[in-house]
Amino acid sequence: MSRATVEFRDFSFTYAGMKIPAVRGINFSVEEGSIALLAGASGSGKSTILRSINGLIPHIYPGEYKGDVFVDGQSVIETETFELARKIGFLFQNPENQIFMFTVERDVAFGLENLGYEPKEIKKKVEWALKLLGISDLAKRSPSELSDGQKQRVALAGSLVMDPKIIVLDEPTSLLDPKTAQEVVHLVEDLKRTLGLTVILVEHRLELVSAIADKIIILNKGEVFAEGKPDQILAKDNLHEAGLSIPPIIELQKRLGLVDSDAVAMDVDDFLQRFVQKWQL
Amino acid sequence: MMLSHGSEGGYELAHVLLEGLKFRYQRTIVHRLDPRVKLLLTLTLFVIALMSSNIYDEALTFTAILIPASLAKSIRRLLRLLVYSLAFSAFIFIINYIFTHSLFSSSIVTVRFLGIVASTSMFFMTTSPDEVEYVLRWFRLPRDFVFAFATSIRFVPVLMMDLTQIIDAQKSRGLELDKGGPIKRIRNLVPVLIPLVVNALVRSSELAEAMEARGYGATEKPTSMYSLKMTKVDYLAVAIILTAAALLLSLFLHVV
Ligand SMILES: Nc1ncnc2c1ncn2[C@@H]1O[C@H](COP(=O)(O)OP(=O)(O)OP(=O)(O)O)[C@@H](O)[C@H]1O
Ligand SMILES: [Mg+2]
Repeated sequence: MSRATVEFRDFSFTYAGMKIPAVRGINFSVEEGSIALLAGASGSGKSTILRSINGLIPHIYPGEYKGDVFVDGQSVIETETFELARKIGFLFQNPENQIFMFTVERDVAFGLENLGYEPKEIKKKVEWALKLLGISDLAKRSPSELSDGQKQRVALAGSLVMDPKIIVLDEPTSLLDPKTAQEVVHLVEDLKRTLGLTVILVEHRLELVSAIADKIIILNKGEVFAEGKPDQILAKDNLHEAGLSIPPIIELQKRLGLVDSDAVAMDVDDFLQRFVQKWQL
Repeated sequence: MMLSHGSEGGYELAHVLLEGLKFRYQRTIVHRLDPRVKLLLTLTLFVIALMSSNIYDEALTFTAILIPASLAKSIRRLLRLLVYSLAFSAFIFIINYIFTHSLFSSSIVTVRFLGIVASTSMFFMTTSPDEVEYVLRWFRLPRDFVFAFATSIRFVPVLMMDLTQIIDAQKSRGLELDKGGPIKRIRNLVPVLIPLVVNALVRSSELAEAMEARGYGATEKPTSMYSLKMTKVDYLAVAIILTAAALLLSLFLHVV
């Protein structure tokens, strides 16, 4: 039996000083060890949802908080941010703004130092995290001289070193070139598999991540617009209402009448198989 | 860097100075000293430069600076930095001459100034920001202060990059930085400064989020992966520095 690691119950939040809620009536849950994709137009509330998971809302961002958010069975509003920091790794869009130290290894150590780990243990864990992300040879380098993809790996190592259960990524690929973006996506999937992580990922390029997601949640104007398995969601014909563009391979299937009520092919092989079946070639 | 002419000269000069002072990782015996020893070395040279009062003193001071500089393979950088500070030295010379009417004493003051520049820059050229942070921690300065200091240094190159990008973007939209009279030129800076400040604010709020997400402030006593340790070479260096300093100062003060 799987159980929910993150759960939103009738959650609404209005930032202090704002008249309308940034998100409202949010209900969804993410199962342990799965990858959930959060998509939606700009301003639809994706970052707000993520901040509510790691406690920045309401502990850092004041505002009107309604309903409940549970992480690992604990209510976020009743848990200190540093306690959440142990459980939840966080990765932002711009790695530059989450790297603090002058060398890669010291930056990876930053979280552990904050939590008061012994130096010996820090060294061991840092070594492990660097190896996990394939950046051991960068340990002594200065982060400012690394490529964007490498910086993203350093930031990821800095989160994973704290041995989180959950990892939350806010558009981690939007500043990367397509190939590096693909690499980061595969890396996330690998890490989820080897470490048994629960992953919550924000991304609006559906085609980039649909293949690895177990669940897609689409937000529109602060509300959950649709929620379900990737092929169910992609088979919908009203995604443009939520400001999303439909991946070409899906559009093609729709035009060819290859889409049954709730199933689509997401890669070319799968697509060809359906095509052959349908037309009995 | 693509900026090289007109009113951007000030920017260029700032850039050169920053480059000159910037730490560059080299594996020389001086670079590898404990940062506290490098601080002691710099402070000692600083005091010596400050106390020198005649030609012989100055000669000894510069010898004392050149020895560690050559061990650190940094003579050329040091000279370049001194050349850049010549404009300011000329200013000091003139002011002094106006007040004292003595070419000789004005020269001494000016050379003394160069000695001070050279001695203090030794520290920045041989000590990485990382090591500076360790020294600040070793002095038990408040964690927030050390962190703020380290972050501001860490973000200098990032903000420089932002600045270059903003200038390029605004130029491509027709902004001409070096057109018009002085008032107009200052007004020209507005479309550069506003995005720069906004950018910095966005960065700082993201930084604050990232700090929080990585447990900053979780305990009263954060630990450190590495701590400073003096080696035999470091102790030897301390002995040499102190002996040389005692010797020079007693020469300066005519004790011997
Ligand atoms: N710190 C804040 N203070 C006030 N309002 C905010 C704040 N952050 C976001 N909002 C508002 O909340 C709403 C949701 O914003 P949010 O940042 O969650 O959207 P998003 O889906 O992450 O958008 P994007 O794709 O642009 O990152 C928006 O209307 C936004 O203006
Ligand atoms: Mg966002």
